[in-house]
Amino acid sequence: MLQFCEWLEKVPWIVALNSSIVMSLILEIAHYSGFFLLVGTTVVVDLRVMGLAGRRENAAQLAKQLVPWMWTGLGMAVVSGFFMFAADAPDFYLASVFRIKILVVLLAVVFGAVVQRKVSQWDRMPAIPAGAKLVAFVSLALWIGAILAAVEVPAISGVG
Amino acid sequence: MNSLLMEFAKWLQTTWWALAISGSTWAYPFVQATHFSGLSLWIGTNLSLDLRLLGVGAKRRTAAELSDALFAWNWIGFCVAVLGGFMLFASAATKYVPNPAFRTKLGILIPLGIILHIVNQVKARAWGQTEETPLVAKLAGLLELLVWFSVITAAVSIPNYDTH
Repeated sequence: MLQFCEWLEKVPWIVALNSSIVMSLILEIAHYSGFFLLVGTTVVVDLRVMGLAGRRENAAQLAKQLVPWMWTGLGMAVVSGFFMFAADAPDFYLASVFRIKILVVLLAVVFGAVVQRKVSQWDRMPAIPAGAKLVAFVSLALWIGAILAAVEVPAISGVG
Repeated sequence: MNSLLMEFAKWLQTTWWALAISGSTWAYPFVQATHFSGLSLWIGTNLSLDLRLLGVGAKRRTAAELSDALFAWNWIGFCVAVLGGFMLFASAATKYVPNPAFRTKLGILIPLGIILHIVNQVKARAWGQTEETPLVAKLAGLLELLVWFSVITAAVSIPNYDTH
């Protein structure tokens, strides 16, 4: 894996991409916009399931309106994030806080997908079950954890 | 005006709580995470409404219904983002005040974005009664979307104009 990271860092077009100020700027804009869209929509759906947002709205319909933007945001954040990672791949790979970030993001995506799959079922019940609210809360907490881990990457490891 | 701003920045930066943020290795990332969590809610919900006004994506809810459902957390996100942002600013105020990217972001783009957002939120009730939104709603949605992308562009450009 480390060998792959060392190779990735030296791929000519990755080097070219990251030495360009304009391209680096575009990657950062895409990464921030993508995760704002991803986290914002996911959290609103989580809060709705928890009964704390848009209670006049049907949870399943709200989720169906917002979930496509959640996946669009994830796609933007992952693609731009990959190129940002590639620029310093071995350093990121060796930084334990970066590994924690990736793990938390993966868990958050799994919980987001569970909420998305189950929300119609929960919505048909007389009241949203406590277990569902717990899943939604964990999804929300994981995203806050992911943001915290992300800002800790440069703060602790000095990479990025 | 400039010297007054710098005086204020100097005073702000030396308040005990600003010194606590800039002098600590762990507090700064927490403040950053607060700013980004607030922004995720604020920008994420803004873009969702703008895209609905624009008529792009799912049309499960009308723009009026969506705006109503997002309203509370939209503004909670805004308050959290402002709180985190103000603390970040305070921790290095004299560095931010002269920065042209920061000035563009805070002096022009953010006020413009907030005004457009309030217009869109108020107008969503009239524009968003039917599944298809009128042309003016599409243009207003697109405009607000572009302004928020400009805000993010100015924000990520701040380190490039850092003279310290």
